[in-house]
Amino acid sequence: MPLLTGLMQRFSRERPFDGLAIAACLHITAETAVLVRLLRAGGASVSLAASNPLSTQDDIAAALAVRYGIAVFARAGVDRRAYYRHIELALAGPPTGAGQAGQLSQAGPDLVIDDGGDLVNTLHTQAAALLPKVKGGCESTTSGVLRLRRMAAEGALAFPMIAASDTATKRMVDNTSGTGQSVIDGILRATNTLLAGKTVVVAGFGASGRGVAERARGFGAQVIVTEVDPVRALDASLRGFRVLPMAEAAPVGEVFITATGSVDVIATEHLAVMRDGAILANAGHFDVEIDVRALASFAASVHRDVRPHVDAYDLGDGRTLLLLAEGRVVNLVAAEGHPPEVMDLAFGIEALALAWLALNAGKLPAGVHEVPADIDAEAAGLVLATAGTSIDALTPAQLSYRESWRIGS
Amino acid sequence: MSADQLPYRVADLSLAAFGRKEIQLAEHEMPGLMAVREEYAPSQPLRGARITGSLHMTVQTAVLIETLAAIGAQVRWASCNIFSTQDHAAAAVVVGPDGTPDDPKGIPVFAWKGETLEEYWDCAELALTWPGTDGPNMILDDGGDATLYVHKGAEYEQAGGVPSPASDDSEEWVVILDHLRNSLADHPGKWTAAAKAIKGVTEETTTGVHRLYEMARAGTLLFPAINVNDSVTKSKFDNKYGCRHSLIDGINRGTDVLIGGKVALVCGYGDVGKGCAESLRGQGARVIVTEVDPICALQAAMDGYQVATLEDVVETADIFVSATGNRDVITATHMSQMKHQAIVGNIGHFDNEIDMAGLAKWPGVRRENIKPQVDEWLFEDGHGVIVLSEGRLLNLGNATGHPSFVMSNSFTNQVIAQVELFTKTDEYTLGVHVLPKHLDEKVARLHLDALGVRLTELTKEQADYIGVTVDGPYKSEQYRY
Repeated sequence: MPLLTGLMQRFSRERPFDGLAIAACLHITAETAVLVRLLRAGGASVSLAASNPLSTQDDIAAALAVRYGIAVFARAGVDRRAYYRHIELALAGPPTGAGQAGQLSQAGPDLVIDDGGDLVNTLHTQAAALLPKVKGGCESTTSGVLRLRRMAAEGALAFPMIAASDTATKRMVDNTSGTGQSVIDGILRATNTLLAGKTVVVAGFGASGRGVAERARGFGAQVIVTEVDPVRALDASLRGFRVLPMAEAAPVGEVFITATGSVDVIATEHLAVMRDGAILANAGHFDVEIDVRALASFAASVHRDVRPHVDAYDLGDGRTLLLLAEGRVVNLVAAEGHPPEVMDLAFGIEALALAWLALNAGKLPAGVHEVPADIDAEAAGLVLATAGTSIDALTPAQLSYRESWRIGS
Repeated sequence: MSADQLPYRVADLSLAAFGRKEIQLAEHEMPGLMAVREEYAPSQPLRGARITGSLHMTVQTAVLIETLAAIGAQVRWASCNIFSTQDHAAAAVVVGPDGTPDDPKGIPVFAWKGETLEEYWDCAELALTWPGTDGPNMILDDGGDATLYVHKGAEYEQAGGVPSPASDDSEEWVVILDHLRNSLADHPGKWTAAAKAIKGVTEETTTGVHRLYEMARAGTLLFPAINVNDSVTKSKFDNKYGCRHSLIDGINRGTDVLIGGKVALVCGYGDVGKGCAESLRGQGARVIVTEVDPICALQAAMDGYQVATLEDVVETADIFVSATGNRDVITATHMSQMKHQAIVGNIGHFDNEIDMAGLAKWPGVRRENIKPQVDEWLFEDGHGVIVLSEGRLLNLGNATGHPSFVMSNSFTNQVIAQVELFTKTDEYTLGVHVLPKHLDEKVARLHLDALGVRLTELTKEQADYIGVTVDGPYKSEQYRY
């Protein structure tokens, strides 16, 4: 992760988080560990909870706690109650002494990093007393940003949050390239199915869905796209994808991948007409895109873990549907999440944005804010530099041309 | 008419300057031809060769002709299709780089766009007639017409006369018989002498190769032949990469429809169909393939294409391309069922893949010409289909056929084959040969620099390990590329 490693030296020198407490809710992976160490190098005390009950890599969590002294509250395979309890503990901050761990301290975080919005939500609903101290934070995923915008619209968001997932660079690298690649990786690892010649249905043609669709095509699949947004549907169509309503795609698809950020994209009426052996996978952040409850009630019997992360739902009529990763985000559960290069950029943007926020949060009103464009460009430039790629700079003449309205043809 | 009075017959010599400019552009895009021109210039291996060429008289062919001349050959040329001549290219070859339209100093060409069948066979005979000699001693053929003419001439001379046409003979066959009848009357023994003088033929295309193998099997082949078509650097490149380029070019020039988002049906997934499907997809079309061969059908499916029957999608597809090498693929009934302004075109060699005769006979159908090579056929129910190039090769009819770089591969094979046959006549027995693999590899090698390709060289140990020499050939004869 050359970007984060490069920032490590800079943050150690500049210490942008000196004396600040940061509470983070992220997938506990090796890449997250590097981010957390970077924040610490920048002077922060960090507490960390998992942003998904299944995605924690326990060895990483242990290493963070034992080797780097980070307050980690995460374990793979916890239930819902434990999951939220861990978030509350992370909000409380690093334990300041024996017996105090687990109690919401009055200290609380100065800055937050969230991934899906569960931490910010818990902070507002379960630990509102901590709100006055919070300067602001970053949200890592599109789903979380959507949730924050709804909070902000209701006037419920108490501090500025930067939508770190919503930069041009991040969408390009993280969603399109990273999710695109790792979702396919997850499906292949879970099922070992040959994609060439298969009909793959990708629900949603946003940055992630487009990446998944293009890569599935690269494997030789016939790809069908479903969309609700006419602009994206037209984009998919012009890129040569077949665009159908899910009702028409459901009976022909062999692999279904949801990447919408919406709910019940695959529902009972679709399950009812699917082909025997159809594979269902979700690439969206939440486990609501495939209606797993409907699937369970629709099925005559369920055979768990016929392969790791593959549950076979026997519909009792000779058809079996294969649900991957229990309908949770398949690239993280069945594969290893994004490749490190992708998370390097995503977390690099987040770290730069957080450092900027540490200085400038007071100037921002509560609400959802974009990452400043120069931070996005700075991150992209740092990645290029670490890859040894040089680019052109505008000449003074080009700069003045760009800024002039007097020069025509 | 006699060749003595007509050293050339082309449409308009004043087009030569434009033709020369296009030839110069093409030379840059034909690095293989230019490389053999340079390689053989000092040794002049074709000195003494009298080559009659029968091949589409295009700008690229002009570079071929001038390459043959540059390495020692005398050349006379006709086209192998009544429509395919580019008149400016023909004019430029006749005028030559050092001549003027008033004082042409180039090479005799007998070809223009839009010949009648009579004119076409006049041109063939003119190209095969070398005043003061027994005729050509080499043939460079595309489709086999020049070879056929010599063989039939010699055959009828042996038989003592040209037969009368049968009632079911094609119009073209009647014309050929008439020409040969006149020829035998004017110059008895001409074709027997020519066949004897000819050291061999190099044949460009599948159709001509097919004829040669039939003659070899029947024992009627009169001189050795090299099958250039089946060089890997010819058929695989020309069919796949050439059509990949020129299909889209033809559709764009003919219709200018946005291809992105359209549903395109490609009939046939051989080398041509593969190239077509790839380029349509590259433009953003959703491509559906039809096939009769389960291997090609499975290939298409594994490449991610939907494979359907024409009937499945006839009402929904926007663009139909036939690339099968078979007849009656797109029928009038199909066209009657298509969407309004569906586009129909053929990129297979012959014009029988789309049933144009059936379409013309469809009750109430009306043809409205939009522009040259683009017709809308309107049905009584009000819907129309756009047919490109009257069902003939749309990449040639609506665009300019294969691009220079692709033709450089094909034509470099031709030049090397001509040199082989002319200089190593004894090594090529009566029969049909393909170029040895090391020459196929040489053709490819000559095109690498232009593309900035850096080839890796085998070590001696690596070469030994796979049982080849460091310089090749690298593959067995069975290898399919």
